[in-house]
Amino acid sequence: MKIWSDKEKMSRDELRKLQFKRLKKTLNHVYENVPYYHEKFKAAGVKPVDIRTLEDMRLLPLTTKEDLRKNYPFGLFAMPKNKIVRYHASSGTTGKPTVVGYTKHDMKVWREVIARIATMGGVTADDTAQITFGFGLFTGAFGLQQGLEKIGAGVIPMSAGNTQKQIMIMQDFQSTVLIGTPSYALHLAEAAQEMGIDPKEELFLKYGLFGGEGSTEEMRAKLNEAWGITATENYGMSELIGPGVSGECLAFKGMHINEDHFIAEIIDPETLEVLPEGAVGELVITPITKEGLPLIRYRTKDITRLDTTPCDCGRTSARMAKITGRTDDMLIIGGVNVFPSQIEGVLLGIKGIGSNYQIRVLKKGYLDRIEIDVEVVNQDLLVSVTLLDQLYKEIQTKLHTILGIHAGIHLVEPKSLVRSEGKAKRVIDLRSEDL
Amino acid sequence: MLISQLSVFIENKKGHLAKITGVLKDAQVDIRAISVFDSAEFGILRIVVDKPEAGAEALKKAGHVVKQSYVLAVDPSDKVGSLHDVFALLSENDVNIEYVYSFVMPNNQGSPLIILKADDQEKAIALLSASDFNLIPKEAVYNVQKG
Repeated sequence: MKIWSDKEKMSRDELRKLQFKRLKKTLNHVYENVPYYHEKFKAAGVKPVDIRTLEDMRLLPLTTKEDLRKNYPFGLFAMPKNKIVRYHASSGTTGKPTVVGYTKHDMKVWREVIARIATMGGVTADDTAQITFGFGLFTGAFGLQQGLEKIGAGVIPMSAGNTQKQIMIMQDFQSTVLIGTPSYALHLAEAAQEMGIDPKEELFLKYGLFGGEGSTEEMRAKLNEAWGITATENYGMSELIGPGVSGECLAFKGMHINEDHFIAEIIDPETLEVLPEGAVGELVITPITKEGLPLIRYRTKDITRLDTTPCDCGRTSARMAKITGRTDDMLIIGGVNVFPSQIEGVLLGIKGIGSNYQIRVLKKGYLDRIEIDVEVVNQDLLVSVTLLDQLYKEIQTKLHTILGIHAGIHLVEPKSLVRSEGKAKRVIDLRSEDL
Repeated sequence: MLISQLSVFIENKKGHLAKITGVLKDAQVDIRAISVFDSAEFGILRIVVDKPEAGAEALKKAGHVVKQSYVLAVDPSDKVGSLHDVFALLSENDVNIEYVYSFVMPNNQGSPLIILKADDQEKAIALLSASDFNLIPKEAVYNVQKG
């Protein structure tokens, strides 16, 4: 199997030297160009010159999503706006998203790391890749598109949804690679069968590159079986670059981190201490080749562990295990990240809703769904069914426009929500029970 | 002439109507007229009862959202076209009917009456009072003589 870059085969010693060099450059860059980081470093009593080895990294303060929110929209950018050639964003509370920006150099890095993970997953210049991530502010679709084109693969930018057309194009264009969330891929396979098309016999897929949400080995087995493909998983997040932080090779021993671009640490989410290799904890990533938005020690809130033992594929990079959970209460609904507090923020901003609602997260087939029960407490809504209908539609529309999620809304009678010790339980995650 | 009506939010689920009628039964409140306006998942139950205050109180106490509002009760007389005449009269005078449902009072020789909610209730009362149609006073609706 091909390895895209020699950088993926560097000795660990060489790699660490390169990492340190790039880290120093990045630290100087943010210290000089991002006032917020300058102050943050000062408050922590550390300067870039104090970092003399890679291990000294632990002296640096951590960055969280909250730092990005506080600096909305461009406060953490380390380059002037006229050097930014691309913006992306993820959903935020009350409509304020987390914004990321890329310089020309950053776009080059992004294409490179995607080219690597696509190659790891088996994709070559001979392939035709169908992208089912949504093209828009989210990073998934655009990230994969550019990296795949760099390899020389053909890209079909289908975007999300429109299931029947996806199948038709897949058949007519003879797509060989499917790209999207694992849950949507499983949904597509079922849809194909319902259309009377046998995915294994009548379609041409060979590989699937999945990301945007976590998946399990059981899901991989289902994907491989349903499509007759070899499915791999990849990892990333918009704050770091988008997809491209890491990806699985065909040895399936974890996701290879592009370590010459990203330094990975595992910390104890409580004490914030760095944990030794192999320990399970929260993944912290420092991009070391980015210009536009170089975050220092970004807390991903994803739980995993690292492994640097040699891999059968020949790559020397550290591998991260599948994400086994979150250190916060973030939900991933069809690839869209959303916090219960964001849903609450939207609900509380709508007149006529009591503070009593319940968010239920469940699986419908293979797709994650959010169902929200809202207690009707305002008697003035009882003038007509139209008013109730309007409320219902307002909730649905606001959740979609602000958070990008489709939710099932149920208006329920007061006091009908499940309560524990008198208080309504706000979020019930039922997804694991169905798998 | 205005008659008190209770509107109650109700989910379209098995047993939910019975929950409400159960509350009224326990409070010794008698239902005179009843109708449900619904969509796929939820609806508004509208009822006229003999003791509106007691009925509303009992339902609120049981945790329901209750809105008390006012409607008209009209006796269109039981002959072909009479209901049309009521609606035409209001429509010609630019009064919009928001909803209507019918009920029967035992001492009215079994002829059907209608509960009517107009956008301009005062104007509706004036128009109907000046016509041949009987507006039923609230006392007559609340205090039905049985048998």
